[in-house]
Amino acid sequence: MNIIETQDLTKTYGDFTAVSHLNLHIRKGSVYGFLGPNGAGKSTTMKMFLGLTQPTEGRFHIDGKTYPSDRVSILKEVGSFIEAPAFYGNLTGEENLEIIRKILGLPKNCVDDALKLVGLTEFRKRLARKYSLGMKQRLGLAGALIGRPPILILDEPTNGLDPVGIHEIRTLIRSLPQKYDCTVLVSSHLLAEVELMADDIGILNHGHLLFEGTMEELKISARAAGFPTDNLEDTFLAMIDEDNHRRGGTV
Amino acid sequence: MSLLIESKKLKRTGYLPAFLAGGFLAAVFPVVYMMVKSEEMTVLSGNPINLLMAANWQMMAMLNILISICGACMMYHTEYADNGMQKMSVLPIRQGNMFFGKFLIATLVLSIMVVIEMAVLVGCAKYWFPNYVFDLTEILKTTGFQIVIMLPTVMLMLVIASACKNMWVSLGIGVIFVFTLSIFPNDVLSLFPFASPYQILSVAMENSRSTLFLAVCGIETVVFGIAEVLYLKLRRCFE
Repeated sequence: MNIIETQDLTKTYGDFTAVSHLNLHIRKGSVYGFLGPNGAGKSTTMKMFLGLTQPTEGRFHIDGKTYPSDRVSILKEVGSFIEAPAFYGNLTGEENLEIIRKILGLPKNCVDDALKLVGLTEFRKRLARKYSLGMKQRLGLAGALIGRPPILILDEPTNGLDPVGIHEIRTLIRSLPQKYDCTVLVSSHLLAEVELMADDIGILNHGHLLFEGTMEELKISARAAGFPTDNLEDTFLAMIDEDNHRRGGTV
Repeated sequence: MSLLIESKKLKRTGYLPAFLAGGFLAAVFPVVYMMVKSEEMTVLSGNPINLLMAANWQMMAMLNILISICGACMMYHTEYADNGMQKMSVLPIRQGNMFFGKFLIATLVLSIMVVIEMAVLVGCAKYWFPNYVFDLTEILKTTGFQIVIMLPTVMLMLVIASACKNMWVSLGIGVIFVFTLSIFPNDVLSLFPFASPYQILSVAMENSRSTLFLAVCGIETVVFGIAEVLYLKLRRCFE
């Protein structure tokens, strides 16, 4: 059963098409890796799911709810982290999460739980503007994870983290579906990272979905198309390169 | 709920101290004025509160307006500085409720400022005018009037601040409005935000314009509030 589905989802800014006729199918309880080079349209797609930007064409459903009529109800079920950490610098990490908790109407212990999940308990009383980049990233993640929502939308969540932090967050994301019956849509431009945590992947380039399926299906599809399959990074690069050539560019 | 959340967001921004300091600073004006000009003032006939208001309110109102402008800028600066606003946009909370929560806080702190100022005016009247008889109804009416005619300015300034991600832009727009409208004093312009707060109840009553001021300021406040709600909807469409 698909918890997120899009039908011909399109977003244009003037002459520029950021997302073109996208048809995504995200299974409930899976980690879906959304892969693509910078500017492929990953963040725009995620922003549309969260109502931060309006689709130009097409539609999408999240857990049976339709945008825009069920926007508030969708947001109650989705924890998100988009592009950069978003917080109030004049408040402590704990106070930031307390605001989110109040808005979501969650019990008080959710703040401690979220801080613990991302390893920020020790720094809970520190002002968020005094956090290091990695700590800000973790605070952003805590804001998405608070209350353990059934759907998580994470846009490049490991940016700015050190290797240990990347490993911790990756392990956490990987464990979420089993632990909390959660569906995760996570974007990255690093195939190696997605490979380690995703059940399904979607590859996006210039707003077009080049591939959707499991890692095994990607290998089969790549082999059939004559792309290298020894190394998934090479497969990804070859797919993107071929698509760029087909569109008449080399970006 | 919105009020509680919005007030929490203002922690450590210096918002409340700024308003209290502004209130006390504005309240110092009549005291200093009376210390310097008590002999000229005490020989004048009329209600001491009205005399004091006529002599000091222009300066006090300007301070109230400037503090309200700074307050609105501070409120939205905390939203935009570290992307807090973006986080709020992905939570199940209506942006309009956030805005009206901020407006309510701004109105409350402004009311505290005006109350402080009125209390000092009453103190001055009692100290320098021995024949002054304290009339609570009159003071409440005056305080209420001065607060209501400030509301369009507070609301419009919040609308401007919500639209500008850069605090200095909204601050600049506010200051330009203050000085532009204060150098064109005429009957029609005095009904507009940034100009209406200079009006005094006693003068408005003399000219039979107190009801007009209250009605126009009430309408302006509602209109700017509706404009903000429409703006928030439109902004979503163009993002």
